[in-house]
This record gives sequence, structure tokens and C-alpha cells, in this order.
Amino acid sequence: MYQVGCVTAPLCGTMHLMDTTEPLATLVPAAREGDQHAWDAIVDRFLPLVGSVIRQHRLSEADGDDVSQTVWLRLVEHLGALREPDALPGWIRTTTRNECLRVINARGRMRPVDPQSEVGLDAVVDDIAHEDLLAAERRQVLRDALLELPAARRDLLLLLLDDPPVPYEEISARLGIPIGSIGPTRARALDQLRKITALRGIGPDPVGGGN
Amino acid sequence: MSRWDELGDDELMAELAEAVAETVDDPEVTERRRLAASAAFTWRTVDEELAELLHDSALDAGAAVRSSGDSPRSLSFIRGAVTIEIEVTGSSLLGEVIDDDASDEPAAVSLQRPGAEDRVTETDASGFFRFDDVAPGPVRFVVVRGGWSLTTPWATL
Repeated sequence: MYQVGCVTAPLCGTMHLMDTTEPLATLVPAAREGDQHAWDAIVDRFLPLVGSVIRQHRLSEADGDDVSQTVWLRLVEHLGALREPDALPGWIRTTTRNECLRVINARGRMRPVDPQSEVGLDAVVDDIAHEDLLAAERRQVLRDALLELPAARRDLLLLLLDDPPVPYEEISARLGIPIGSIGPTRARALDQLRKITALRGIGPDPVGGGN
Repeated sequence: MSRWDELGDDELMAELAEAVAETVDDPEVTERRRLAASAAFTWRTVDEELAELLHDSALDAGAAVRSSGDSPRSLSFIRGAVTIEIEVTGSSLLGEVIDDDASDEPAAVSLQRPGAEDRVTETDASGFFRFDDVAPGPVRFVVVRGGWSLTTPWATL
């Protein structure tokens, strides 16, 4: 099972579920006014996105902890300036990436590449066929998009992907939705997923997509 | 590869299954970060004067290639007539408060981090201040002098 961050309540127990599906247009102003529950709902929703960006940068666990904490502290101070709640996922993605780069650079983790040496970056790239890199990037984009879905929709897709398959009765019970709405919700979730990935401009040409 | 909007629902689900299958997330790490993220909210204030990051050498183009871990990292923050310069060498941190409207009185500089007591020092006659034994992690600085106070954005050291 793909862990999406709701560790204390696997697949986000009912209370989390309700909170994290609140639209950002509601959560962000509430957090700005000091509502800790709204803040926690934002955290639950986007912690997986922060973790995903950190993982892409291959930071150590401790550095990842530092970056994650800095991103959330920055968001606390940024809440007042965030006029467009829908811009939040992009802000979190950019801020996390920047903090990862700062940590990598500040600690000199990246070894200089000797231009004289044959064993440089090219050697790594040669190991993996170009097509594989594109496919890997495409899978990453898809995971990132999944993390931007409201938790209820994300959890439904993940349950539907589970192997062996989870019976609809159990999905219905775990998510607290009628069996009859599983199909339509799946369709809406996939539509939303397509829009998120399309917005990032990644489709026919995954490299250089604007994320 | 197909465009996302050309994929049917079942095809998209199949790609999702592949994408999701290759991830690893340690639940302990996730939970630790979630708690820290939740606690970050206690730092919420509504009336602080926030300085802007003017420059961070760790964000310079080419820093990754050039950096050896030995050269000091420099950060600067600005608001109005006040600039705060920070230079980090290992665990030592040398700072300078540059205030165009400077009075002679020293400024109080606090080094803040989550889960730790604030460390406070004063600038010397030239505006310099220093902190030693500063561990890696998120920090910010609050400078107070006479009638004003200034808070820097959080940064990871």
C-alpha cells in the first residue's frame, strides 16, 4: 500500500478525511486566522508533496527533516501574503525544491564534476536508456499530481489500485461513501488528475515540463 | 507516450498503479515530519516586520559545482534602511546589522529555532554579532533596536 502520510489513521480516518477535503479557499483563510485544525488539514494534504520533492533530491533523512520543517515554517509566515489559495501547491513545490537546493549547496554534498574525467554525469545517463528516464519522470509527475488531489479522492484511487483488489463494500465502509458513488468519484478524481498533470505541461514531451 | 488527456480511465489507472508501486515512504519519517509541521504553527505571528531575503550564496547558479563545503555561506536580508548580513562557517555564525539611520545603541539579535530557547546577543560598536556552536537546521533572526524590530524569513543552515 502506498503510504500517503496519514500514518496515525491509515487512509485518513473519517475526521481527517473531512478536514483535508475542505477546499483550500476555506482552509487557508482559517489557518491565517489562527485555526490549528485548518493548519493540520493543510499539513496532512501537502506533507506527501513535500516528501516527494525531498525524495527527488535524495537528501539524507536528517536533511530532509530540516527542509520539511523549514518549508512549513516558511508557510506559516507566508500565509498572510497568500492571496490565491489555489497557488499553494505550486508555492509548496517551489519552496521545497529551493530549500533542497540550498541544503545541498550549503553542505557541499554535490561533488564537483571533473571535465577531464570520463566517469562523469554522462556515465550515469548512459546506464539508463533515454526512454526509461522519460518514463521515470512521467511516473514522478503522476505521483506528484496524485498528492495534489484532495485526500478523499486520492485515497479512493489508492484503494482501487490495491492488490489484491479491495471489495467495493470495504471501500465504501472505509471511506464512508456509498458504493454507488465509487464509480463516479473515481471518474471525477481521474479527470482532476488529468487537469493537474496537463497544467504542468507534461504530456507528449515530459522533459522540460513547467513544474 | 500518450498525452494524459488521451488516456482512458483504465489506462490512466494502469499508469498510476505503476507509478505508485515504486515509491517508498517510511511511516516513522512521515509521522515525525507531520508533528514538526503541525508544531510550526505555534510560530504564527501577525505583527512581525518581515525582512526579505536579498541573497543566499547557496542559491547562486553554479554553487553546487563550486561548493566544497569549506567556503563560507553568506546570506543577507533587507527591510527598509536595515540590512542583515550573515556569514556561516562550519558551526560559527558571524553577522552584521547595517542600519543607514544608525543610532549608537547596540541592537539585540535573537537566534530562534523550533524546539529551542532563543539565543540572544548584542551587536558591538560596529554592528557585528556572533553565534558559535550553531547546529544545522532551520533558523531565523530577530533584530531589535530602539523603536524597531525586524524578523528574517526562516532558512535552513
